[in-house]
Amino acid sequence: MKKILMKGNDAVAEAAIQAGCDLYFGYPITPQTEISEYLSLRMPEEGKVFFQAESEIASIYMVYGAAAAGKRVMTSSSGPGISLKQEGISYLASAELPAVIVNMSRGGPGLGNIQPSQSDYFQAVKGGGHGDYKVIVLGPSTVQELVDLTYLAFYLADKYRNPVIILGDGMLGQMMEPVVFNKPDFPPLPAKDWAITGKDGRERQYILCFDLDPRGLEQFNNKIFKKYQKIEQEEIRYEVFGEDKPEMLLVGYGTVARILKSVVREAKDLGIRLALLRPITLYPFPSAIIQKLAQQAGRVFDVEMNMGQMVEDVKLAVNGAVPVHFYGRSGGMIPSVEDTLKRIRDILGK
Amino acid sequence: MSPFRNQIEIAWCPGCGNFNLLTDLSEALSELGLKPSQVVLVSGIGQAAKAPHYIQANVFNGLHGRSIPVAFGIQAVNPELTVIAESGDGCMYGEGGNHLIHAIRRNPNITVIVHDNQVYGLTKGQASPTSETDFVSKTQPLGTVSESFHPIALAISQDVSFVARGFTGDKEGLKSIFKQAIQWKGFSLVDVLQPCVTFNRINTFGWYRDRVYPLPEEYDPEDQVSAFKKSLEWGDKIPLGVIYRHVKSVFSDRIFEKLGRKDFLNPTSNYQTVFEDEKPGFE
Ligand SMILES: Cc1ncc(C[n+]2csc(CCOP(=O)(O)OP(=O)(O)O)c2C)c(N)n1
Ligand code: SF4
Ligand SMILES: [Mg+2]
Repeated sequence: MKKILMKGNDAVAEAAIQAGCDLYFGYPITPQTEISEYLSLRMPEEGKVFFQAESEIASIYMVYGAAAAGKRVMTSSSGPGISLKQEGISYLASAELPAVIVNMSRGGPGLGNIQPSQSDYFQAVKGGGHGDYKVIVLGPSTVQELVDLTYLAFYLADKYRNPVIILGDGMLGQMMEPVVFNKPDFPPLPAKDWAITGKDGRERQYILCFDLDPRGLEQFNNKIFKKYQKIEQEEIRYEVFGEDKPEMLLVGYGTVARILKSVVREAKDLGIRLALLRPITLYPFPSAIIQKLAQQAGRVFDVEMNMGQMVEDVKLAVNGAVPVHFYGRSGGMIPSVEDTLKRIRDILGK
Repeated sequence: MSPFRNQIEIAWCPGCGNFNLLTDLSEALSELGLKPSQVVLVSGIGQAAKAPHYIQANVFNGLHGRSIPVAFGIQAVNPELTVIAESGDGCMYGEGGNHLIHAIRRNPNITVIVHDNQVYGLTKGQASPTSETDFVSKTQPLGTVSESFHPIALAISQDVSFVARGFTGDKEGLKSIFKQAIQWKGFSLVDVLQPCVTFNRINTFGWYRDRVYPLPEEYDPEDQVSAFKKSLEWGDKIPLGVIYRHVKSVFSDRIFEKLGRKDFLNPTSNYQTVFEDEKPGFE
């Protein structure tokens, strides 16, 4: 397969088409409008649906409808627009409907700005909308991984009948890198026999997102949490990079992980042994491996483009066994290799 | 220059219709004898929504689609203020369309100014609710499928208190509309035809100029049915001016009448009487 140079936003869009996305509903917002632009051209070519709604709220409920009809469907936005979609995401989770939602995050809170940020981590992994539910969250760190995780997102959404968020950021969306489109061979999926298709000769379909009887709702919540348990057992993905027997374990995802790889390399030249644990799935979170590597390294340094969000999950994983340090830049600022390395050297006294 | 203009650097494309709108609105405010301290401008988000920042008055930077409820909240607390919500067609008619409908229904004493360039300017040229059917853009390469939205007809169908259409190429007409709308007691909607020279190559300055005409003297803006008919006129001829007005009781008057007080800010004697029996310990 040929490598082509592509912008992150275009790459996600093309991967969605190749993953069999039947419908896409969008609304413009920087820095991800290119996803809409790309799909507005390519979806009709493929005989598929592209539509720009009157708001993000309308677009997430168009997704809700198309998902209930059994189709592969995607929407995308950034920060403020993703906030507006949260109600719909809770309903998708409650109705157990598969859908893919891309967030090319920008600086927040509020309107914030259009610079890259990781400040939507909590919103993505802790629910975001109301009620007891979880969304699978994937954290790509290169344009190639944006492509690969888009295939995976559609597969996992169907496999678990659950919304999946691809949590990128403005930098990944805007950067150009060479990519190959290699559609993976996923195991076969069960038929969508729950979908509202208008077929004759069977019981009516009945997709619900409520149960007024508290016993019934608790039972339902237990059922979906069993599903989440299975996701936590089977779907954790991460990358370990750097030295064995490190003096410190670095943790970072997405764009930050790219910076941390340079930090690991530069530290090596200075005789400092570092390793990086990069979560690829942000939910389910790779807690067990973090705990293991943290204990081997003796200390952890978590770096994020926010005021400190994933570090809470890292601390839960480490559970007080070793010290966890944090360095974050927010508001669209990006931590530099030099600053990060300086902080590491200060902590290690080297 | 109007005391309502400030020195903040303007980030609009050269030739954009927004420049005239900004000048005309600032002049209208000063010609009405208003002081900057009495005026609150609430912006949405978009090219249009930059305008309040360039006007020397109180500014509340709202968010995309929500400037009307924010303006409503500000005015409800302090009815003495002149409150203007200002944003684009995408913001007011798309993202915030629902708020417009309900504001008409409540009739708060606010003015809503829509810079209607029939396109999403700030996000670089997607179709908006007022784009013509078949409008081609970067996200509608085959042309839009939806029919365009008619804000003035919608407003009149809901018996709006005041609605007008202006054009950034008609200085005196636009200024006069702004003055009438701002002075109007009740909800006033001003849809301003504002050419976007960068992203709307269909509805250009010339396109509007060739079609607009001022409503004749004998036009009666107080007859809802004929005003509705007038509001449907779009295409070869586009009427400018106050298309409909209807004096109605405003939201704050109705609510304070029910509560027996003048505003929310100053506890009045009436406020005491409400709680008289309970003798609450406010000290
Ligand atoms: C919730 C949310 N969605 C989307 C955006 C991105 N956005 C900013 S301005 C805008 C539309 C601008 O169009 P319009 O309101 O017509 O104003 P114009 O720029 O044309 O003056 C959009 C979609 C945003 N800021 N917030
Ligand atoms: S993009 Fe259009 S509306 Fe925005 S400043 Fe330029 S000409 Fe004006
Ligand atoms: Mg506009």
